Amino acid sequence: MKDLVIAALDAAVASGATYADVRSVETTTEALAVRGPQVEAVDRSDTAGLGVRVLLDGAWGYAASAKLDRESVKAMASTAVEVARASATARSTPVELVPEPPHVDSWSAPIETDPFSVSAEDKIALLTGATEQMERVAGIRLARGTMDLLRQTVWFASSEGSVIDQSTFQVGAGIEAISVSEGEVQQRSYPGSFRGHFETGGYEIIERMDLAAHAQAIAEQAVALVAAPPCPNEITTLVLDGHQVMLQVHESVGHPTELDRVLGMEAAYAGTSFVAIPDAGKFRYGSDLVNITSDATVPGGLGTFGYDDEGVAAQCVDLIKNGILVGFQTSRETAAAAGAERSNGTMRAEGWENFPLIRMTNVNLLPGEGTLEDLLADVDRGVYMETNKSWSIDDKRKNFQFGCEIAWEIKNGRLGRILKDPRYTGITPEFWASCDAIAGPEEWQVYGTPNCGKGQPGQTMRVGHGTSPARFRNVHLGTSQ
Amino acid sequence: MSRLPITEEQARDAVQEVLDHPGADGVEVMVAASDSGVTRFAGSEIIQNTAQNQIEAYVRVVADNRVAIAKTNQLDRDHLATAAGHALLAAKASPPDGEFPGLPQPEEVGRATGVLRWDEATAGASPAVRAKAVSEILGATRAGSAAGVYETSAHVFGIFSSTGIDCFDAYTRCVNTCLVEIDGATGWSERSSHRMDQVDVASAATAAADKAARSRGAVVGEPGSYEVVLEPPAVAMLIDFLSYMGFGAKQVIEGESFLSTRAGKNVAAPGVTIADDVFDELSVGIGFDMEGVPKQRVEVISEGRAEQPVSDLRTARKLGTPPTGHYSGSNEFGPYAFNLVVAPGGSSLQELISGISQGLLITRFHYVNILDRPATSLTGMTRDGTFRITNGEIGEAVTNFRFAQSVLDALASVDGVGSELAAFAPEYGSFGSTVAPALRLRDFNLASTTSH
Repeated sequence: MKDLVIAALDAAVASGATYADVRSVETTTEALAVRGPQVEAVDRSDTAGLGVRVLLDGAWGYAASAKLDRESVKAMASTAVEVARASATARSTPVELVPEPPHVDSWSAPIETDPFSVSAEDKIALLTGATEQMERVAGIRLARGTMDLLRQTVWFASSEGSVIDQSTFQVGAGIEAISVSEGEVQQRSYPGSFRGHFETGGYEIIERMDLAAHAQAIAEQAVALVAAPPCPNEITTLVLDGHQVMLQVHESVGHPTELDRVLGMEAAYAGTSFVAIPDAGKFRYGSDLVNITSDATVPGGLGTFGYDDEGVAAQCVDLIKNGILVGFQTSRETAAAAGAERSNGTMRAEGWENFPLIRMTNVNLLPGEGTLEDLLADVDRGVYMETNKSWSIDDKRKNFQFGCEIAWEIKNGRLGRILKDPRYTGITPEFWASCDAIAGPEEWQVYGTPNCGKGQPGQTMRVGHGTSPARFRNVHLGTSQ
Repeated sequence: MSRLPITEEQARDAVQEVLDHPGADGVEVMVAASDSGVTRFAGSEIIQNTAQNQIEAYVRVVADNRVAIAKTNQLDRDHLATAAGHALLAAKASPPDGEFPGLPQPEEVGRATGVLRWDEATAGASPAVRAKAVSEILGATRAGSAAGVYETSAHVFGIFSSTGIDCFDAYTRCVNTCLVEIDGATGWSERSSHRMDQVDVASAATAAADKAARSRGAVVGEPGSYEVVLEPPAVAMLIDFLSYMGFGAKQVIEGESFLSTRAGKNVAAPGVTIADDVFDELSVGIGFDMEGVPKQRVEVISEGRAEQPVSDLRTARKLGTPPTGHYSGSNEFGPYAFNLVVAPGGSSLQELISGISQGLLITRFHYVNILDRPATSLTGMTRDGTFRITNGEIGEAVTNFRFAQSVLDALASVDGVGSELAAFAPEYGSFGSTVAPALRLRDFNLASTTSH
């Protein structure tokens, strides 16, 4: 594949590109799904392709194809140049890239067990072992299990001299119990909703989840939810588990600090941001406890790599420091607008087909102190919510609403009865300003969300978030405020 | 059709050998290929511009009533055989699938034909043609800053199986979205068709710019229940989610759809009819599902009454009904309605507005998500043009609202349906379309507001 990448690169430069980079991506995935004892999917996918990105006359062109022979990749380079020429006809400000030294390197994420070396029988048995446990609980209508495996190898070369190959494995798995009664549906998931928990690593991660051991408990909770009282609409203290904090960080910090959104480049689809470049260094985003990084180096994250998709080395940078906005996620094209001399390496593409965009790597809320129990102990009256169920936020990432699968009332520092359909709303900086406790390193975990959408054509990205449970005061519960 | 990404003969020839894969009781291959170009603009200049071609083959293998699928994007003999081998191995590792109805037999399900929503000019549009369209948009929006896409693409689908399924269809697509910002206020318009000559970029740009200009100086509205007119983009998004929440037979069987408990009952106003209908002249799609079963027009809601879901062979057998031709390619996901059409009414947009004394005109929604699937409850934001209606006239702009609303409750309050239909491409992916008119609703719950 390296030879084809270099051939495409040479052809792009020979066609007049002032800058070019070429990426080949080979991806193998497996997706398994069971419903009770029934196997609903054992799907495999093997794909490979190559994309050529060029700058010509200050404008971008991109061409991509799965036709992997020398003549085809040379033709692809010519097409990319033709596309850039067309772009230049409606481009008034030439694209300029901040410098990045050339890298010649090879990077891979460590794993213990190749997930593709495990037999399909064993994978199915692991899932059905858990769904059988859930189905034994009276009142369970559906018991589902899923497993998702990915292996990806990327070659990158640029006209500035970078030649990089990277390989990674990512895995995910989860179970879900559904209880249905008179048109009402309640669900509980483990270790997380929307197909479970995802990490960069091998099959050992799935084995450590021990799905079967948690199956009965979540099934019993799903049944209990049907009979539970609804979570009240009120203003109160809210404690969130790490899984929900993950999505809170994702939607209300990760996206608004993407510099392409800040600059209006995503205005028509994903939206823009409520923060602006001059806010850096002075805008109070949250309380003093809130420290958030963009970190492509943390082990296990779905956004962990050696180099991003324009060859910038992985970095860990501050986005929010002691509650103050201090930085943005940048690319080589946008970094200069924020006064940076170097990109902090967040350009990522879903596959060979797509033009890289600024995407979250691992946007992490740094841990505070204490355990979840410590957070709860300091609450006279409030609500504790677990496991994200729904989310919505406006086009500037300011007005949000989240729903969780389950909640418990908190009374005098202890969890009480279960509450169903818990939801909360808020305004991003007000909400983060109300954060008065973040649990410590012993509760901190890197979560993965494999379905972050952005861009046109739409790209689905796998991103990570390190979080721990956190506490917020005076939060509006319910669907309005 | 000289610009097909792959011809019917090429697709059929490529897969013939793998249909006899050794050890398999049955093999089906779905070939999907596309050539597409997407030109994105923002800040009134082109920011990204892509051209890509793709070919994918999904090989479904049956062995001892066990089923598995493997995909490859290399359409040569070796890769297809490898994919079939992977699928066979996975199938044999699975327990018997007692619900598998077998691969479709053409003598039972009928022979599918294409609907051929194809336009040669759209298929052949060059990067220069797309850039020229964007330049036209930018010329019409000089009063503000424009952002959006102009896309042209060509797609083919072929299904071939060892049971004799042999069908092929092709469509083209042209999509233009346009957001214009003036002094921080935004307006929106979009156009979509299988023919680029039906996508009037100048009118879309002008409409978005006009709306942005009218949105300046927006005041903060009061949360509450409003009488509203939803423009077609807003209606299309609600209907897309309604379908996602419950139009598929698998959701009905599993008790997660509103049809599980409300089929045969009135769930919407009598003026509301929603069908999956790839044969509608504004729909963009193919004439069969992903296992080659001919598509049927299905009225899921007929004059306000909940009727039947869309189904595939597997779920139809469970329901004891004929399949409607809506296999999505995934048993886990279940059958899906890809070509929704809301029937038009008899009112112009102005007539709908004139029937409201105090209310709101809503252009579109943003980041909608599900609150309660059986109750069809959604939340999301208004965006890019929300205006007061006072005494039948459009008035001042208001800042965005968050809504929290059951779609069926909203549809039950419909008292006016627009006569003009607009077509919309899906937000994600390139398969399917939604056709919708404007609607006037007596009650729509806007739960909170924003400052912009």
